[in-house]
Amino acid sequence: MAGRVAVIQFPGTNCEMETLRAVKHVGLEGDIVRWNEPEHKLRSYDGFIIPGGFAHQDRVRAGVIAAKDPVMAVLTEEAEKGKPIVGICNGCQVLTESGLIPGLEPGRVEMAMARNRMENRWGFYHRFVYIRRMPETPDCAISVSIGDNDIIALPIAHSEGRFATTDEKLLKAIEERQLPCFIYTDRKGNTAVKFPDNPNGAMFNLASLSNRAGNVVGIMPHPERAIFRWNLAPIDTKTPNIHSGYNIFKSLKQYIEKVS
Amino acid sequence: MAGHGLLPDNEYRRLVELIEREPTTVEETIFSIMWSEHCSYKSSKNILKILPTSASNVVIGPGEDAGVVHFTGEGDDSWCIVIAHESHNHPSQVLPIEGSATGIGGIVRDVYCMGAKVVAVMDPLRFGDPDGEKRYRTRYIANGVVKGIADYGNSIGVPNLGGDVYFHQGYDDNCLVNVVAVGVVRRNSITRSAVPHKAKERPYKFILVGKATDDTGFGGAAFASEILNEEETDKGAVQVHDPFLKRVLTVATFKVLEEAHKSGITIGFKDLGAGGIACATSELASKGGFGADIHLERVPVSIEGLKPEVIACAETQERYALVVPDEFVNRVLEIYNVEYELGKVYPGAQATVIGEPRMDGLYRVHYNGEIVCSVPAKTITEGIFYERKRKERKQSAFISGRRIQIEEAFKKVISNLDVCDREPIFSHYDSTVQGNTILPPGFSEAGVIKPIDDKETCLAMAVDGNPRWGLIDTFWAGAGAVYEAVRNVVCAGGIPICITDCLNFGSPEDPVVFNDFHRAVEGIAYACNTIGRLDSPGEPLPVVSGNVSFYNENAEGEPVPPSPIIACLGKIDSIDDIVMSKIRNEDTELIFIYDPENIERIGGSVYQSIIASTGGEIPHFDGEYVRRMINLIIELGRKGHINVCKDISDGGLITALFEMIYDVRVDGGALGIEIDIGCLPHNDETVLFSEAGGFIVGSVGERINKIKNLTEEAGVTFSHIGRAVASDQFIVRRNGTVLVELNINELNELYRQPLREVFEWQAG
Repeated sequence: MAGRVAVIQFPGTNCEMETLRAVKHVGLEGDIVRWNEPEHKLRSYDGFIIPGGFAHQDRVRAGVIAAKDPVMAVLTEEAEKGKPIVGICNGCQVLTESGLIPGLEPGRVEMAMARNRMENRWGFYHRFVYIRRMPETPDCAISVSIGDNDIIALPIAHSEGRFATTDEKLLKAIEERQLPCFIYTDRKGNTAVKFPDNPNGAMFNLASLSNRAGNVVGIMPHPERAIFRWNLAPIDTKTPNIHSGYNIFKSLKQYIEKVS
Repeated sequence: MAGHGLLPDNEYRRLVELIEREPTTVEETIFSIMWSEHCSYKSSKNILKILPTSASNVVIGPGEDAGVVHFTGEGDDSWCIVIAHESHNHPSQVLPIEGSATGIGGIVRDVYCMGAKVVAVMDPLRFGDPDGEKRYRTRYIANGVVKGIADYGNSIGVPNLGGDVYFHQGYDDNCLVNVVAVGVVRRNSITRSAVPHKAKERPYKFILVGKATDDTGFGGAAFASEILNEEETDKGAVQVHDPFLKRVLTVATFKVLEEAHKSGITIGFKDLGAGGIACATSELASKGGFGADIHLERVPVSIEGLKPEVIACAETQERYALVVPDEFVNRVLEIYNVEYELGKVYPGAQATVIGEPRMDGLYRVHYNGEIVCSVPAKTITEGIFYERKRKERKQSAFISGRRIQIEEAFKKVISNLDVCDREPIFSHYDSTVQGNTILPPGFSEAGVIKPIDDKETCLAMAVDGNPRWGLIDTFWAGAGAVYEAVRNVVCAGGIPICITDCLNFGSPEDPVVFNDFHRAVEGIAYACNTIGRLDSPGEPLPVVSGNVSFYNENAEGEPVPPSPIIACLGKIDSIDDIVMSKIRNEDTELIFIYDPENIERIGGSVYQSIIASTGGEIPHFDGEYVRRMINLIIELGRKGHINVCKDISDGGLITALFEMIYDVRVDGGALGIEIDIGCLPHNDETVLFSEAGGFIVGSVGERINKIKNLTEEAGVTFSHIGRAVASDQFIVRRNGTVLVELNINELNELYRQPLREVFEWQAG
């Protein structure tokens, strides 16, 4: 039986439809589950995705209200069982504010998704970017079928996507490549990049970060918007090794099959 | 002044005649809104009859909240496109963020309420001169408008697929913010904005859902129909937006529509826009042939002590009215109030029953036991009509200007604000949400999406309207806007299926302005009739929706540049037929396809403004020739003969060539251009800078000859002018003599910077 994924819908979420479509496209089953639906229903799923949008209007700060929602307490318990939880864009902000990623000390907020730092501009930024795995990092729920040399082209669309921290332990963990992560690159996969290839000024060019176990992952770019080859029409896909967001969801499927 | 002074004396007398007594305050308020130019089209409706609005693909033409055209599929699997196009000019001038955001909010409601999923928005914008006398205000407005559109559109999860922007001092005191929303709906799921016929047989109820009513936007429609006077401006007439609530409402509403459809229940559904509850419910009633009893004391309010006319007519945002059969009422309330917890999501938001249809056609509003309005619904919605005077505009004299070096002119043209890179605007908008985007802004002449999951058919869309043309000749500006929007869609591989228009002019009471308006409508009609439907010969390209915005003037009473703005939608049968406007390969051969009769008309071009020339003739399009060109382009795309196609518009051929390689990175560095214009029998400036339309297509090898043959068969010109090369030089020659030789990196900077500077002003 195919794994079942719950796509969590908070008030203000706006990427739930295409996220569910991506889940089904790789052969997983799934449903959109409202934030206020019964706990037992939620617990019946094998994995969870918190999609993009503006959960609870991003009041106070992106992701912070949703992080306090009772649904997150349930997800935290499910994560402890090893089930995968993927937060995309706003979902990444929610996971950060919940202390689930990086989760060195579970529950503590160790990192911020700070305002984009960009040249000559302000606010929301939409652009196609390239990401790849940071070499020599462990697998996570969205990277198991992705090789070190694979480049993935995806759109970003956010105002607050800059991974930032002053936490010494976290900085060291990333530097020592203990945490699974993806980084922004140029279209040839070179990692020493600056704006706009790194679209928001994220530390270590981070585009995605997981907890140590690799089952809870936050990613700022939108793989669910680039499932099909035609989603990458603006990208020069003649370059070898450039893949779409399909591989991200394929990884999730493989991960769920392995775990459950 | 008669009554409460809400209506001009003549209209007040008319109202007394109609209802045979003095109106109540609520009645007077309702009529002042329904008889505003914004709602009644009292000056324009006779002229708009010129436009071709019917064709075999039109499902619902102008007159409802949005137009509906058939898109793809047949029978039970038939899908339609829903499109609405409006202006939100005055509110955006006064409060740019709120004004533009509620513009997007209003237009998406018009599409949602046809039962459609909104799949794209576009936004044609016209701002004042950011370097002129009112530069601070202009920049504040331009930045605010972009922020408002971004804040709202990004939050509701609808991709922004295009738009255009022009700057002119004529918009200093009155910017234009037009908005277009596009949706898809299964033909058998279209919801009508009318009390269903079935209400004759069984009881129905009116349900109001959304934000609790307050006093915002009270008098908004009347405000849109007056000349702006900034000192006296009533900011209360601008509505307050809430995209967050809108998103939740939309998700919940879809559930309501889906359940109604599944259970075979017919409902009526309408958004609350101008005139709020009273106008929406009276229109729902009137359109279905009913009347209504509406109880204002049942309306949830967020401020105590609101007068009945305010509750009835305030334009509080994020509200809808539904008309549903009694047995479905509780389920609707449950979806909104329990499952989606509207009240918790937003204080005071809820769904509530506020009344019921009446069989006798009378529209009655009750407030605490008193009847505050009692008029036949038809009388309210019928509107009024004015015959306006017309007077020919005096043509401005032709001034030839001074000639400048071609290289110099090229640099000035690509760094002109009407030409340069639009990325500083469109990168603020989410153009890929929903995951259906194929070509977002910047990669093609039109935005392209694949809006229906299990259908291959793609949708291309573009907007256009050149204010420099409007200032010279509104007939050809109207026609030219249609042609250009059509050409943009065609470039991407789209077969045009319909257009919409938003006509932004000064006061209709000024005979010159009214004549300009009339001529523009004639021009649009001419273009639609001559292009016709490529996929159904003999039929016009239909105008399916639109809007007229009058009273756009500056403080001195001068009208804004006449601005007929057109949106065009096109259908692409397969993803493989989509054509980009960016060259991807070096050694792409470039072919120029144009109308040699028309190219000599350079009036209204960017080049003309740069050499300080004025007047002259703007392009006069030969409709038959344009039709042959666009048919050819479609054929070339479908047969796979071309891999790139670009329309010639602002900045002319040379600018189009540059834009085809701008920001393209190939292995080994930049892409350059080498052309020779020796084969074109016009003077250099005309060839390079004329904006008379046409196409550049790119191809390679054997296919060039095939293009040549098809072009000759079509009876249009074929001029093989050069190629893209792996170099960092942009070179133009005439018979070997160099006219332009410039470095690509230098050109890139000139093209990239100007708008950045305008839009970096509002930091943080």
